[in-house]
Amino acid sequence: MTASIGRRTALSLPLAALAVSAGRARAQQKEAFRFGALMPTTGPEAGYGLDFVKTYEMAVKDINDKGGVNGHPLEMLVLDTQAKPEIAINAANKLIDVDKVPLIITAWSSVVKAAAPIGNRTKTLELNMGANSPDIANLGDYVYTVFPLAEVDVTALAKYTYAKLGKKRAAVLYINNDTGIGGAKIYRDVFTAAGGEVVAFEGYDPKATDFTGVLLKARVGNPDVVHIHGLSELPQVIAQMRQLGMQQQITSYSAGYNPKILSQLGPAAEGLIVTSLAPTSAANPNVAKLLELWKQVGRFPNGLPYLQYAWDSTVVVAQIYGWVDKNGLPLTGENCRKALLAIREFDLPMTGKLVIRDDHRIDKPVYLYVVKDNKFVLLDTVA
Amino acid sequence: MTDPVILLQILWTGIAMSSYFVLFTVAFALTLKVEKLWNFAQAGLMGIAFYTMFYTLNAVHWPPWLGVGAAVVLTAAVSIAVEVWAIAVLRRRHSSGLIFFIFTLIFSQLVAFVLTLMFGTEPETIFPSVMSPVRIVGGVAMSDWDLQALGVTVVLLAVLYWLIRHTRDGQFMLAVADNDKLAEIYGISAKRAYLLSGIIAAVLICAGVYLYGTRAGVTPDVPIGLVLTAVIATLVGGLGRIFSAAIAAVGLALLQSFSILFIPAKWQALLLYFVLFFALVLFPRGIPVWRIRRAKPLAPIAVAQAGD
Repeated sequence: MTASIGRRTALSLPLAALAVSAGRARAQQKEAFRFGALMPTTGPEAGYGLDFVKTYEMAVKDINDKGGVNGHPLEMLVLDTQAKPEIAINAANKLIDVDKVPLIITAWSSVVKAAAPIGNRTKTLELNMGANSPDIANLGDYVYTVFPLAEVDVTALAKYTYAKLGKKRAAVLYINNDTGIGGAKIYRDVFTAAGGEVVAFEGYDPKATDFTGVLLKARVGNPDVVHIHGLSELPQVIAQMRQLGMQQQITSYSAGYNPKILSQLGPAAEGLIVTSLAPTSAANPNVAKLLELWKQVGRFPNGLPYLQYAWDSTVVVAQIYGWVDKNGLPLTGENCRKALLAIREFDLPMTGKLVIRDDHRIDKPVYLYVVKDNKFVLLDTVA
Repeated sequence: MTDPVILLQILWTGIAMSSYFVLFTVAFALTLKVEKLWNFAQAGLMGIAFYTMFYTLNAVHWPPWLGVGAAVVLTAAVSIAVEVWAIAVLRRRHSSGLIFFIFTLIFSQLVAFVLTLMFGTEPETIFPSVMSPVRIVGGVAMSDWDLQALGVTVVLLAVLYWLIRHTRDGQFMLAVADNDKLAEIYGISAKRAYLLSGIIAAVLICAGVYLYGTRAGVTPDVPIGLVLTAVIATLVGGLGRIFSAAIAAVGLALLQSFSILFIPAKWQALLLYFVLFFALVLFPRGIPVWRIRRAKPLAPIAVAQAGD
């Protein structure tokens, strides 16, 4: 009996392995479908950029392990942008002219904007998966977003701050680049339209290390909430604000939903309200799987909600390529755009339903988090 | 914004924030004076100093004094190595100033690339927390970091002043700075003076990097920007005037801080380059304010000579 089971097991194991790898093998036989990614893998924003790339790799592997795109393996080509537009232009040209990719995924507002004219001119589809400047909706026929632009979470936050938190006087401080300017303007306009008063509206240099001046300008206006629309310098701004004795409520957007802020600020982060545009692992079991994959990397990733969009943008690419292939069309940027608009509704594993609108915008629920006992705790969800 | 407390706060924070600016400027001005070298390699030394502190304190969890000590030793060692195996070689070959300049720039870029490979490019701080306890004095917030920064800077500048004015090595450095060939005829070792100025610069750089890195995030490409600001202060203070350059550094930092009263904060960085532009065009030897102070003691001698 024992010997019989052993033989069966011995026979069945290779067969099982063969079956599991059949899809992978099929995917490897056909020509690869390639797409480009413009990400900061060096420079100050690389902390996020490298984690985006790692997540794309995980998603591409997952897709290929399941048989690829109609049997074609999916392949990603990543070029570094340092989150700088001038570098992004060269990288986009290389991906389009040399590597001949029909589709590029990008992030960081200035990079998305810099690559947009190239995408429009060469009819290469550009998908934004992490930048939130509202201008992205108006960059041309070949630029779409799968990530909600600032008007989604910043509008929700500004309205919530006024209506639910009862804050009437806001100071708005922002990093002087596309991300900061766009987001800050939306916050100012929405907060004012809701009935509040913006008592200070100040930008600071992206390379600044001393924020005393802008903070004092904000303090003079006697605000009851300070909204900071920054990037990696956000902890320093908050630290200096608290050290100046300013105890007002602080809000920020999704860039603030970062565990590093908690370690750098400690108790000074208490009460900070930030936004997130993706559900947590408690609400979506697929997110737990992503976190499991990151456990193998050996650390908690930077900007988890962004990584959920990174995964999902790869799925969107695969579905676009699948539609083009299924309809017997050549894999060009024009056909990718046609596919995007034909599919229009995507059911995505990490962030749920995505609907591509004609105005190049998308809607998503906004999750508001507050720092409590040095942890991000869900405060409210704004649909 | 014209409230006295606010003005005092801007003044206090501006002075505190100028501390590392002053230390980097003095380090740069010292090597420029003694070695006649536009030493952009100091950006590389800053990177080495920062990541040594970062690694020893965060990865191997050494106590702060040991981590800082290790940074001083390593940075000084690299400074000596660069002097002995590179700068001295170029000097022996009578290389042009441009070759020195390019070499120091390339050295810094090389260090930045190596540090990028080793530590990545995410902004890091020396300690995990960037918070510092604060006390309010007369309505002005003074953090422990502010006091520490001012204390470290004043002590180091006082020691440097004493070293230059009251020790033989300091006077030998000045002699070499004045005329290295003549100094050597008098038996002064120019090589020793160069090494000493490099070591002093390394100590100043470590102190500056410690102050900067405990307050703001550092990436491998940050130091080259810090050296550029030191260059601006050195040019404004006047070439060859170490302590004038330090005063210029404080002046520029305060100018930037107080500019918030007149211009939007996003233009503050531009102001430095604006000042540099006008300083280079109008006062190529430095702004005269710093020179008048040195010119005064010479007057009686000139009168006496005229009387003779």
